Formats: sequence, structure tokens, C-alpha cells
Amino acid sequence: MQVFLQTFIGGLSLGAIYALVALGFSLVYRTMGLVNFAHGNVVTVGAYLASTFYLSTKLPFVLAMAVAILLTGAIGLVIERVLRPLENKDFDLMLIGTIGFGIVLEALIIMIWGATGRAVPSPVPGAPLDVFGVRIRTYDLVVLAIAATATVLLVLFLSRTKRGAAMQAVAMDHEAATAVGIHVGRSNATAFMIGAGLAALAGGLVGPLLYVSPAMGGALGIKGFAAAILGGFGSIPGAVIGGLAIGVLDGFTAGHFQGYSELVTFLVFTVIIMIRPTGIFGERTVNRA
Amino acid sequence: MSRLRIAAVATLALVLAAGCSAPGGDNDSSKDDSGPIKIAVVDAQSGQLSSLGAWELKGARLAVDEWNKAGGINGRQIELGVFDDQADPTVGTNLARKIASEGYIAMIGTAESAVTIAMAPILKQEGIPNITSGQSPGLVAVKSEFLFLNGPTSTTYDETLAKYIVDTQGIKSIALITNNGSFGKGEHDAFTKALATRGVTPVADQVVTADQKDFSAALTTIRQKNPKVIFLGAEEVQSGLIVKQARDLGITAPFAGSAPQGTPVFLDTAGAANAEGTIVSSPYLSNDISDASRKFAAAYKAAYNEDAEMHGAKAYDGAQIMLTALKTSNVAAGKELADAIRATQYEGLLGSFKFDETGVGIFATSIGTITGGKLVAAAG
Repeated sequence: MQVFLQTFIGGLSLGAIYALVALGFSLVYRTMGLVNFAHGNVVTVGAYLASTFYLSTKLPFVLAMAVAILLTGAIGLVIERVLRPLENKDFDLMLIGTIGFGIVLEALIIMIWGATGRAVPSPVPGAPLDVFGVRIRTYDLVVLAIAATATVLLVLFLSRTKRGAAMQAVAMDHEAATAVGIHVGRSNATAFMIGAGLAALAGGLVGPLLYVSPAMGGALGIKGFAAAILGGFGSIPGAVIGGLAIGVLDGFTAGHFQGYSELVTFLVFTVIIMIRPTGIFGERTVNRA
Repeated sequence: MSRLRIAAVATLALVLAAGCSAPGGDNDSSKDDSGPIKIAVVDAQSGQLSSLGAWELKGARLAVDEWNKAGGINGRQIELGVFDDQADPTVGTNLARKIASEGYIAMIGTAESAVTIAMAPILKQEGIPNITSGQSPGLVAVKSEFLFLNGPTSTTYDETLAKYIVDTQGIKSIALITNNGSFGKGEHDAFTKALATRGVTPVADQVVTADQKDFSAALTTIRQKNPKVIFLGAEEVQSGLIVKQARDLGITAPFAGSAPQGTPVFLDTAGAANAEGTIVSSPYLSNDISDASRKFAAAYKAAYNEDAEMHGAKAYDGAQIMLTALKTSNVAAGKELADAIRATQYEGLLGSFKFDETGVGIFATSIGTITGGKLVAAAG
């Protein structure tokens, strides 16, 4: 029982990170019908920026995260601006464009910060909580709380604000949205900016859990992408559930299948997707291709 | 967009990424006797294991610079070509063909056993001697007369470790956590074997994947067995993460391991307090062992403005042996150069090198412990 609970808790905190990565994927997909393949590398940029401000400039962790999110959000705007001429013209080129951006970002990361990574100490030191023999790290609770807050804010933004409603309208029918005076380009830019901001949030939060290196975005990107598909691509609650599910699934396969855990995780993933191709919360509203 | 298209584009992305990552131009492929002597350094210069590649390159470059400053070999300068294998065996095999076609006569690297093993058949076929920093017993199993190790194998590291833990300290309650990569697998097998010869069975034997980030399940299982020592067979960063998470889970037993646990990256990732007490089996414990190591450390510091560590020292030794063999063989290539390397006896930073027919030249390590955030020689 103790192993079960400990594995569950361990899977949750990384699962929350996957959920944040998946939210970024889903948001851009939801508004533009586009899979942003640079997303994993944007996560890495966010992680490096947050760790740089935290460790080198000695900003408090919260402030370092905020600056990183703003700067990374700006990168999202740049990506959207470069891709904008292709919008509604050549969808495949846009996808290739995001892949290209990913390669450029990774090269820039290595040029700026070097190929070797850095370890980030936990911003909330202190002994883990002991609940009936299950140890819960305080930082894990922080990660879960922040991920939950970000999700709620995102849902409120999409459902309660004018800009959010406009984004939803663009997602459903961008021609009709244009006809009623909604600026599609601006809506897409917002989606990219928030997506990149979420990536920075995930990257910054995961730094103290893992190790910040140019390669980290690859692993997080794939798990986040899988989480988004598992939850139902484009669905906000789906991204959260998918992320947590992948994290916990990872934990349990690691316990039972040890060296074969990665294989089993993706086999289970494949079976679920075969049974339910649209994912858990799958809805097919976006299809601009 | 259909899921099929997502898959198609994802595949395309992988193809593109692979295609974009093989830098370097076409060079003259003839093996002529004038001009620089071309030696390839193949290592991970990007990715999670790139710190290994960076250290190795620094060590090798230091040796080559020394020889070049002294006039090279037979009046010819030595030219180092640096190749990034991204710690990926597939990239490695491509690079093996590339360095052969570009006229490199010898290779230094890689630090990853899996990549070295993948490259070995091609290098053997092309007759390019290779001095690797890998330590997996699998390297010996390849049985290539062109493959040499610049340090001991895991068998030596772990035999020393088992001797210290079981024979000297009298500890029998030992748990294992290793990854299923080439290095971790080698460590697992070598240490289990060393324990078996002493009649000790590990109380827990947990295997993780090389990409795994959360070790809750494995560590909780280990914690329930309450071992006195935990053997750790994983690379620097992963080892650091394992130790950090183990301390968070309330595991207080010291860890024990070989080369990766003696590095600054391990210390940084784990946090000095968490790594305290780690038992390390290493042929190079500090820069203060001998005059040679002090001289090496000073030169290293002057060249790169950072402290020397074991991997740089290993690569330095390897490069020195390679260059000495080139000199004694009058810049031979192929089989002749391999024979010259095998015949080279060399007093290195890691010890006295004397190669046997398997390509291993060193058979001893010492025990150190991390004390006060530093690796120091263990008492007893």
C-alpha cells in the first residue's frame, strides 16, 4: 500500500508538469488547428530563462518565473508572426515551420547556455511531509497548486473574457469570426503567447525537479504531446487529465516493469487511443487542414 | 487535421532533425604522409551526456596541444577533428564511416560504451584504432583488436567496490538501483557478480530506464528493505536525481558507485548535503595524488579555467598513449598502429597502463568518499 501511494504521489508532480505542457499544445491546436512542434524547445527556453534569473541574477524564484514567462511569451509572439503569412494558405508548411523553429531554438539554447546543463536547487527547502509513511515533498505540492491555478485561470480566460470568447469563435469558424470583426491574426498570436507562457511555467517548475539541459524539452515535449492526445487534442480538461494520467501511468509501469516501463507506458497509451481515437475528452471542432 | 497526418509530420520531423545534425564538410580522403596527422574525437557534444564529451575533449586537446607545441610527431602537427555523436549509437555508426572516408587514422572516444560498441565493427573493418573512455564489460566482449580502453572496466571498478563494502566494512545488506542503458547494465552485472563471489545477495535489485525521471516506485521498494548501502549504476545526472529523490523519501543509507558518482555534475544535481557519504570507486580520486596529476591539473586550469576531473584525465592518458604509439610506430596506421598501442606501456594519471589482448590496460581503482562536498580518499 505504501509503495502504491508513494508511486502515485511521485507520478502526480511530474504529471502536473506534463499537463502544463499538454495545455500549451492544446491551446494552440484549439485556436489554430496547428500542432506546434517547437513547443518542447520552448519549454527548455523557459527552463533556462527561469534558472538563469533564479541562479545567476539571484531573483526570488517567483519573480524569476514571472520574467521567464513574459520573455518566453514574447518568443511565442515571434513564432506566430513569422508563421502568419502562411495561415490559411499552406498548412503543411506551417507545421514544418514550427519544426524548424524547434531546431533553431535548440541551437540558440546551446549557443547561449552551452551544451552542458545545470542543476537547480529547490526553492522551497525543508523536510518532506510524512503522511502515514508516505513522503510528500513540499515542492511537489507547490507544483500541483500552480498547475491547478494556471488551468483554472486559462478556463476562466477562455469562457469569461471577450478575447477568450473571440478565440473560441475563431477556432470554430475563422471565416465567420473574421466577418463579425474578430482579428484572426491577433487571436492566434494570443494563443501562441499563452501557449509559450505555459511552456515557460512548466519548464521553470520542472527545473528543480530534474536537471536543466538542452535535451530536456525532447522528453517533456513527447510526454506532453502524448498527454494532450490521451486527453483529447484541443480539450483543456483533457490536457490536465491526460498529463496526470501519463505521469501516474509512468510511475506504475516503472514499478512493475522496471527497465521496460517506457515501452509499457506507450503500449498502454496506444491501446487507449485505439479504443478511443479522440482521447478521453475528444471533440472534433477544429479542422482547418 | 487527421491523426495520420500528425503521425506523418512527426515522422518527417524526426527525419529532418536527424538530417540536420551531421555537420562537417568533405575532406581529402587520401591517407598521405605529409600534412597534419588526423585524429578524430567522437563524443556527445550535445544532449544530457554532453558534459562527458566536453571533459573528454578538453583532456584530449590538452595532450595534443602539448605534443604540437613540442613539434608534433616526425615534424607533422596533430589535427583533432571533433564529431558530435549526441550519445546516439546510430549517429555514431554514421560518424565511423565518415571519419574513415575523411582520412582519420585514429579515434579518441567515445565516453559512452553503447556508441563505442556500435562503432567498433566499422572501425575494425576500416582499420582505425580507437581508445575509448567507456568502461562497460561489453566493450571487451566485442573482441576487436582495434579497440582499447583508457581506464578500467566496470568489472574492476565494482570488484574494488564490493571488496571495500563487503570485505572491509562487513556490510551485507546492499540494494541495487541501476538503469538499463549500456553503462548501467554493465555496472549491474559486474557488481552483482562481485557480490555473488562473496556469497552476498542484494536485498533489492531495481532497474530503471535511462530516460526515467521519477524513481518513487523503485526507491520506496528499496526503503522498505532498509539496506545499509545502495549501489547506484547510472550516469551523472540520473544518479544525482536518484540520490536527491531518495533523500526526500527519507532514505539515509549512503550510495556507492563508480566513475559518475565522483563528478561535479553528480554533486550539483544531487546537492552536496544529499551526496555526503557516497562511496566512489575511481582510478582518479583527486588532482593531488602525484606530481603528474598536479601538473596536469595546473595545465587544465590554465587552459580551461576550471578544475580537472577524472574524465579529462582519462582522455588525456588515452591521447598520450595514442600519440606515443604514433611516434614509436613512425606514424603507422591500421593494424600496425593498433599493435603499437598494445605494446605501449605508459605511466599515466590513472595508473600504469599495460594492455592485455582484450584492450584493457589498467586493472585497479581506489575508494574515495564524498566528505564535505568533496571526493577524498577513504581511510582503510
